[in-house]
Amino acid sequence: MKRQIPLLIVITLGLLFMAHAFIPHKISQDFYNQWYREWVKAVSPFAALLGIYSLINVHVRKIKRKAHNWQYSIATLLGIIVTAVAGFGWGSESGSPSSWIYENIMMPLCATIFALLAFYIASAAYKAFRARSIEATVLLAAAIIVMLGRVALGAAITHWIPDATKWILTVPNLAAKRGIALGVGLGMTATSLKIILGIERTYLGGGD
Amino acid sequence: MSWFEKLQNLDRRYIYIVVALCIIIPFTFTFHTNTYTTEPVENIYQLIDSYAGREDRAILLSIEHDPSTSPELQPMEIAIVRHCFERGVKVFFLTFRITASPIIDYVINTTKEEFADIQSGVDYVNFGYKPAALYLPIILGMGDDIAEAVETDSEGRKLNNLEIMKGIKNYNEMNLVVEFSGSSYGFGWITYARSRFGANVAAGITAVMAADTYPYIQSGQLVGVLGGLKGAAEYEKLVDLFAVNQLEFSKEQEKQTFPRINNDDILYKFKTARIGMNAQNVAHVMIIVFILIGNIGYFLERRRKNKQGEGS
Amino acid sequence: MIETIGIWVAAFLTLSIFSFLYKDNPFYKFAEHLYIGVSMGYGIPLMYKLSFIPFVYKPIFKMHEFILIIPALMGIMFWFRFSRKWGWMARYPMVFFMGIAGMGVPLSMHASVLVQMRSAMLPWENFNIFLIFLGTITILMYFYFSKAHTGLYGKFTKIGIWYMMIGFGASFGYTVMARISLLIGRIQFLMYDWLGFGH
Repeated sequence: MKRQIPLLIVITLGLLFMAHAFIPHKISQDFYNQWYREWVKAVSPFAALLGIYSLINVHVRKIKRKAHNWQYSIATLLGIIVTAVAGFGWGSESGSPSSWIYENIMMPLCATIFALLAFYIASAAYKAFRARSIEATVLLAAAIIVMLGRVALGAAITHWIPDATKWILTVPNLAAKRGIALGVGLGMTATSLKIILGIERTYLGGGD
Repeated sequence: MSWFEKLQNLDRRYIYIVVALCIIIPFTFTFHTNTYTTEPVENIYQLIDSYAGREDRAILLSIEHDPSTSPELQPMEIAIVRHCFERGVKVFFLTFRITASPIIDYVINTTKEEFADIQSGVDYVNFGYKPAALYLPIILGMGDDIAEAVETDSEGRKLNNLEIMKGIKNYNEMNLVVEFSGSSYGFGWITYARSRFGANVAAGITAVMAADTYPYIQSGQLVGVLGGLKGAAEYEKLVDLFAVNQLEFSKEQEKQTFPRINNDDILYKFKTARIGMNAQNVAHVMIIVFILIGNIGYFLERRRKNKQGEGS
Repeated sequence: MIETIGIWVAAFLTLSIFSFLYKDNPFYKFAEHLYIGVSMGYGIPLMYKLSFIPFVYKPIFKMHEFILIIPALMGIMFWFRFSRKWGWMARYPMVFFMGIAGMGVPLSMHASVLVQMRSAMLPWENFNIFLIFLGTITILMYFYFSKAHTGLYGKFTKIGIWYMMIGFGASFGYTVMARISLLIGRIQFLMYDWLGFGH
């Protein structure tokens, strides 16, 4: 029963919403707008606490056990506490301490972590991208044309480069991405169907 | 060990230094590169421009990224907002991502500084952050009534009471949604707002995603796409050429004119992407050279091994 | 003053992350852990102010919509996820969210399959449209693994591979552009905002 009732709810709601997509009748509209929407809003804030609890728990346990590199967990916990207190105390509007933390701590950290990828992709280009087969050569040639064609230099060399780039993107690339997208689209639809028919149940977690 | 083999086994940190220099040097010696514009960007520009001065038209900017992708996406957002402010197009902002909320404030404030008459609630309105759980309810709800689905703006004002909402009811009027994202290309909007209500959808995306969008551009599900820094640079150029001068878009004029980016008339914040594209030129050449050197070394080594194989 | 301190803090943290390029070190580790904490801490008050207050507290306690106590209790049931004994209770709020998948079936089928198929089957008014059609079909054939990729069928799947290689090449070219752009953003910050070049 611990699994069956939730599955029954998913199947019922899933089929109702599937019908709603086809038949936008007033009853179904009201069911969605006035009931489901309001209830989802009321459930949602509690879900966010799961992630917060989980993160705090991991780091508190790490500190308690004096696990490897536990000292850095203090930075994480202090980061959570100080930023949250700043937000609760003074709000998050422009000019507030929370906004200062966002602009000068969170933003540079977040952006720089991703900026590291530029170095790695350059290193990979140098050490790993080899024309080992004809297919790999085609890939590299397409990449080089697109790289040149997307910057002004390509157009300055010859108008053929931006033209070739356009052709690559709008013909073979388009077909390739469409073939893949069709597969993904069918997969998404199948997964949604599996959920509402109770075949896909991993989201229910383990246990009875 | 041959010269090329040594080069092949070069410590990665030397490569990193070259990468850093290739970006830093173009910033110390600013030069000019003329970004040419492409159809996917022009289409978005022209559609937004067609709403100029109309009370019954508005666009929605759905900003769904965090600071990690801001260098690519923020210049696009600023360029589009500047276009709207220049041409009197009503613009709404929305996010389902908590960390994007300050990005919206930054984009609005940065652009607004140059427009004394622009007012919140009259020329633009920020719907603010809405929890992800409301993603579908809001996208679908806006198909019936925007004010009812969104309820309040970021300042807690009821949308129905705002002057900007006069003449704007649903996607029939707010007929363009541009999603800025590092991980999607407006797919939620394509699936729900376009399929169900026929809303026009466009995407401002990181270059990583750009190649994946072409099937959706061809099918008409996306009106256009701003792809990475290049897309942002293109839009900046179009705004400088046409919107600022209150002119209609003309491809001929775009091809012939070249707004120079060392011109102090154009503020730095309105040409960030174009300045960045200078460094992008150098960096792309660097990557191509890396690939070529790597491959030459690979072929030389393979030839040497083949010769050794024949000899033994 | 506070702005200057902010720029220096941001520059220090930026360089701390970049120091990882040399090798892993305490500055990088500190910055990385701080980032996780600050990101989480930033969201908590916003979630409370923009989600809990307007959707739970105000409707129940101010507007007396007591029926919303039921979804609020359902939300609390999420927390049982951490209990082995009561973990099953967390399934109820979960399935409440999952039900919306039903709406996705017809709409995602329409958006990502039907419209795409229709666009692949345009009349062959020019050679490029034929090439797009050929590419789409051969890639779909490649992904059909219930038939061995041999003989004539194998030749078609080979064409599909070539298309995909060009597609991946285009994606790679664009990915380089994206990664470099992110670095450009940070260098612009360090040079213009921190070191004051160009001002």
